[in-house]
Amino acid sequence: MNELRKSFHHDIEDVRTELVHLAAFVTESIPRATAVLLTGDLEGADMIIGGDDEIDARSLDLEDRCVQILALQAPVAGDLRQIVAALKMVAEVERSADLVCNICKAARRIYGHELDPTLRGIITRMGEQAQQLYIAAIESFVENDAAKAAAIDDMDDYLDDLQRQFVQAIFESHAAGRIDLQVAVQLAVVARFYERIGDHAVNIGERVRFVVTGWLPEHRGAARFRSRPDETGEIMRPVDQGTGD
Amino acid sequence: MFWLWALLGFVGGSVVTVLAMRGSASSPTVDSTLGDERASAEIAVQARADRLQAALDAMPYGVVVTDHDGNVLVRNQATAEVGADAHNEVLVQAAVQYNLRSALRGEARSQTVELYGPPRRVVVVHAKPLGPDGAMATIEDVTERSRLDAVRTDFVANISHELKTPIGALAVLAETLIEETDPTVISRLADKTVNEAHRVAKIIDDLLELSRIELSGDLIVSECDVASLVLEATSRNGYVARQNQVVVSAGEIPAGLKVHADHAQIASALGNLVDNAVKYTDVGGTVTVAALPDQLGVTFMVADTGIGIPTRDLDRIFERFYRVDRARSRGTGGTGLGLSIVRHVANNHGGTITVSSHEGEGSTFRLYIPDRPVPVS
Repeated sequence: MNELRKSFHHDIEDVRTELVHLAAFVTESIPRATAVLLTGDLEGADMIIGGDDEIDARSLDLEDRCVQILALQAPVAGDLRQIVAALKMVAEVERSADLVCNICKAARRIYGHELDPTLRGIITRMGEQAQQLYIAAIESFVENDAAKAAAIDDMDDYLDDLQRQFVQAIFESHAAGRIDLQVAVQLAVVARFYERIGDHAVNIGERVRFVVTGWLPEHRGAARFRSRPDETGEIMRPVDQGTGD
Repeated sequence: MFWLWALLGFVGGSVVTVLAMRGSASSPTVDSTLGDERASAEIAVQARADRLQAALDAMPYGVVVTDHDGNVLVRNQATAEVGADAHNEVLVQAAVQYNLRSALRGEARSQTVELYGPPRRVVVVHAKPLGPDGAMATIEDVTERSRLDAVRTDFVANISHELKTPIGALAVLAETLIEETDPTVISRLADKTVNEAHRVAKIIDDLLELSRIELSGDLIVSECDVASLVLEATSRNGYVARQNQVVVSAGEIPAGLKVHADHAQIASALGNLVDNAVKYTDVGGTVTVAALPDQLGVTFMVADTGIGIPTRDLDRIFERFYRVDRARSRGTGGTGLGLSIVRHVANNHGGTITVSSHEGEGSTFRLYIPDRPVPVS
């Protein structure tokens, strides 16, 4: 391998390492945010919210590096997929970090309100599950494991279930007069934040599958759309993926 | 000549340099004895390197050594065991890299990395420069140490809180009584005074029981009937249970099941477990006590459908005076010593106490008591 190519692969490896590091940072902040929420730890909330600036800065920097590799090295095939996927994944990770901050902001708003053990229990479970999804996403990315990446989607079903249970528990708690409407609304939003963090982990998993196999679950829907006739009765042709005809 | 260069690169020791000179001087006529010498020297150097690596691997700390460009030269086994999860591993390695970079600039550094888990872990990373040639970093897991520190500081805070509160209340009540003339107010205050005095007495009783169990080296082992132990524990808390409308029931216990243990201690431990279960279960909940025998002993199980214990507190509830929620503790009237009594009973018997719990779903405590033969008297 000549020197130029060596540095190119070194660059891609750097991008991957940094991406994993950012994702690990987010994975670590999920249980922290859960503890902030459950213990009303305002200082902890400030720390996590303040820490988001670093994630933003590093995400931007990572994005720049990806664009630079695209512009200067013109990667192809697997390398191209790596870089394009990394570009997409940075956005997922960065958005997840924002959601973690949002949980902390919600913790500030419900500060001083007692929560039922049932609500606290489901919050704990949602936090754990969201973190598990992220751990699986990182592992699948590090190991380039498409099978593990595909499993994240199934893990997400449980998180969605928990969210539904939680909303039900909020209704019950509110009906029994144990929490007021404002807290109930904040909690419902918190459940949504956890659920969205899970969705971002699923998206990362899908990108890992794309890197390994070149296939995305969205391709199925896209194929359905293309096979559907439009108003003129003409069947739409794929325009982006020339097959030679 | 390849092996020579490889060797030079590997250790750069004086032995190898001498060897290399001899080797090059006599290279046109390499005889077999010299070849053997080389081979044995190579083996010796390799053995030395292996021994050093083995010594590094045997260390409880992670060790990473780099050259002046930051390329890793040596990494021992413990570095691989630092992170339980991939993401923990990444965060620790990032801290190592960060501190090594500083050490390579000639500045020693250390950093404490708190991993939130679960399980929670605390890792300290030290990095030092190794002259102009590189740097080394050590990774040390101080989870247990920092947990013990927390136990120690919290203990002092908790015990003073538990003892001061009722005594403070007694002082205030007595002062008010001196001035008071209205008989109805006096009787109400006197009632409260009695309650607070009972509270202090209960704490002192528990402390005494705890120290007795802690100090008693010898168990008074006798053959205990498991069914009657369970019955004793469930009936002891009957009154509170009826008041809280909690149903306490005993699970199926094999007839005639016996265990050789200290009867008074086991009864105390089970009583405390059921007491807690009843206290932390809401109206309409259930508490079930069961006993499961195996070849070596008996596992007593106390399961409730109560409020449960937050995951973060699970490993700390057996500490003296530890409270999950201090605001709630006065309402439930416990002393904060019950579970540490249980832990001591388990330890005295060479058994274990474990808990699994989820907030809002309930807790299950398992007290395992190994059967022990009755000493010949």
